[in-house]
Amino acid sequence: MMIDLFEGLLAVLQWKVLGFLAVGVLLGVIFGALPGLTATMGVAVLTPLTFWVSPEQGLAMLLGIYCGAIPAGGIPAILINVPGTPASIATAWDGYPLAKRGEAGLALGINALMSGLGQLVSIFFLAVAAFPIARFALKFGPAEYFALAVFGISLMAGVSGGRVVKGMLAGALGLAVAMIGLDPITAYPRYTYGRAEFMDGIAFVPVMIGLFGLTEVFAQISDHVKKTEAEPAKIGRIWPRWQELRRMWPAATAGVGIGTAVGVIPAAGGDIGSVIAWDQARRLSRNKDQFGKGSIEGLAASCTSSNSTVGGSMTTMLALGIPGDAPAAVLIGALLIHGIQPGPLLFRDHRDFVFSIVFLMMFAAVLAMVIGLVGAKPVARVIRLPDPWIWVGIILIGVVGSFALSNSLTDVWVMFAAGLIGFALRKADFPLGPLVLGLILGPMMESNLRRALILNRDDWFGTLTNSPLALFLLIAAMASLVLPLLKQPRKQAKQPSPRVEA
Amino acid sequence: MNNVRQHASWRKGRSWAARRQAALVLLLTFAGLLAACSRRDGSYPSSEIKLIVQASPGGLSDTVSRFMASLLERELGVPVVCVNRPGASGALAFSYVVRRPADGYTIGHAPVEICVVRALGYADVGPDNMELISLVAKSPAVLVVREDAPWNSFAEFVAAAAVKPGGLIMAHSGTGSIWHFNALLMEQATGIRVTYVPYGGSSAALASLLGGHVDCVVAGAGEAIANVQAGVLKPLAVFDEQRSRLYAGVPTSHELGYGFGVPAWSGFFAPKGVPAAMLERLAQGFRAGFATDEWHKLCRERGMESVYMDREEFRAFAVVQAEFFRTEVPKLLTLKR
Repeated sequence: MMIDLFEGLLAVLQWKVLGFLAVGVLLGVIFGALPGLTATMGVAVLTPLTFWVSPEQGLAMLLGIYCGAIPAGGIPAILINVPGTPASIATAWDGYPLAKRGEAGLALGINALMSGLGQLVSIFFLAVAAFPIARFALKFGPAEYFALAVFGISLMAGVSGGRVVKGMLAGALGLAVAMIGLDPITAYPRYTYGRAEFMDGIAFVPVMIGLFGLTEVFAQISDHVKKTEAEPAKIGRIWPRWQELRRMWPAATAGVGIGTAVGVIPAAGGDIGSVIAWDQARRLSRNKDQFGKGSIEGLAASCTSSNSTVGGSMTTMLALGIPGDAPAAVLIGALLIHGIQPGPLLFRDHRDFVFSIVFLMMFAAVLAMVIGLVGAKPVARVIRLPDPWIWVGIILIGVVGSFALSNSLTDVWVMFAAGLIGFALRKADFPLGPLVLGLILGPMMESNLRRALILNRDDWFGTLTNSPLALFLLIAAMASLVLPLLKQPRKQAKQPSPRVEA
Repeated sequence: MNNVRQHASWRKGRSWAARRQAALVLLLTFAGLLAACSRRDGSYPSSEIKLIVQASPGGLSDTVSRFMASLLERELGVPVVCVNRPGASGALAFSYVVRRPADGYTIGHAPVEICVVRALGYADVGPDNMELISLVAKSPAVLVVREDAPWNSFAEFVAAAAVKPGGLIMAHSGTGSIWHFNALLMEQATGIRVTYVPYGGSSAALASLLGGHVDCVVAGAGEAIANVQAGVLKPLAVFDEQRSRLYAGVPTSHELGYGFGVPAWSGFFAPKGVPAAMLERLAQGFRAGFATDEWHKLCRERGMESVYMDREEFRAFAVVQAEFFRTEVPKLLTLKR
């Protein structure tokens, strides 16, 4: 065991390997910071380049991209309200208001630190308990996935910021849009109007760019007419103070725990993990009404959780040979090309190699953290640009990112449509958070409910109650829907309801 | 004085503008000439070739295409750039490529789905409206169960399934996918009935088998190999004619006396009407790529059989396959209920 650990460490402690790792992290940061360019794409496009170098060097570069991309996804989320990756949606909820308040530096600093923390802790779990964690992941069958999705959807009330009815309506719209495309079981096309472009449903990334970025641009333009010239935005300090760190501690712990747990479950990635963690941190917090308005606790929860899915999905990938998310799927291919077969045998026959991966990921996490902290000040200058420049920039990045996703113009139109719909909803004071939840969780909820029903031979009661884990999640979902409603009248008498600018 | 200065600066400005204009004209002419001769001097290829991949980055189709692209690049001496256009089982990418100009600078990855999407009604493309270049690999389906399952052979599996009609539950990678068709063919050939649980891809289906939620999975040979080698999953049969190198000890469906099985395969195609000389040049490139050790190594690692078919052979093969899917798909999809 110890020998394997040292051999694994020695294999990666070479200048060339560390050099490739650094290049990978830098590329990952760039891919992650540009919406539409994903970690998946970065790893896939660069895999052929690694054919001609040694396995350690190639792997170092690819793991660097993987670990660098997710923390960087928070950067545009904070600065321009466009999440760089779906995992950083919740980061935008608190990070962007912070930046608007003149604390962009602090938000970027927290993003770098907490993302690094999330990755390091989850990678540590991978090193010490890969198999128990992977076995937990396999417990998730259709019934459990369905219950997890229902639990996620029950958070709609939480991310509605008091506007419960409007939140539910927005969520229903999200669920309805998620129905577009081939039926997950019978493959019958639904709401596609005969167009092959819509068979795989509405792609999520263009919708996300539209709903967050374009909506914000349209809102700012419509406000700008009334507003006089504002002074240039402040960036402020990068490092959080000691009291702030202590205040973020419970939220960060919740974020790491939930992020790792969700990350190990195949097909549930950072987007779902971070939204769940954000809402749980809100419940735990004493300053609930600050969430969604620039809460550092909310930011800590979303940054740690979206990044701790990295260790989680690597665990399932290495221990079971089954990828936890899309970039991990690409990494499997890359590992195979370098002659390494992920799966149970890897842990028996090539323990040293597993430790090499663990060390590479830890170095990459630290490096991404350093890049995030050092780069925070220069990157934050973006928000000092004149507003119209930023608007044009967001629209350009949005068009390029939406197109790049699958080289399809349809996705660009989808982005513009999402931006217009988002703007209209925002003007009518609808929260957008529930809409996003519906879009992410709708397909997971529907397809797994129908799989579970097939497995239980159409017995609804059995489907919902046969699995203790699923039953527990469903009861928790019910509780999270009903409890706020019971409390609400009392709370509203005291103070106006908090609002989430999502 | 002032006047002269003004005059001079005006003159200077004019000459600068004129010079810039002249330079621009020259540059444009030059660029035009360069572009003209690059495409017309008869030596093909002389500029970048686009290879359209019907799947997202990272999957087997993408890996095969990117790997072949890098080998082709070496052979042809021009960049070969992969562009992913995923969606509708590949129908989007296929119909995009067949509509491109037949100049030999846009080609596409041709998986088995080029023979299936028309039968599924996704797009009107098939071997008849494209030029097939080369087929480079084949990947058969394999039936796997958990290690602790009570059946140790295909015969035992069939017997158990026959006793308990609809009782065995099988996960696969999606309705209308090639592995689903293999499972349906198995039902047709053996007369047993299973209950299907479609997933969005083989890895999710295999995870649900490992977790004990379903009884069996039909997936690609390479997709199941990690857990088979680890002894967690047990392969019962490979749905092909010849034995798979990865599953040397596992009988094939043909050996077992059931003549069924449609492997997935990987090839390349161009829009209809590309001149034969260009197709031959491309085929030469793929043949050279196929002959490398790197290619055979990749096939071994990803669980594919490295099989090569040239233009004529590939065309004949694809036409038979398309005809098979045209007649079988409607029958197979109505097999249930």
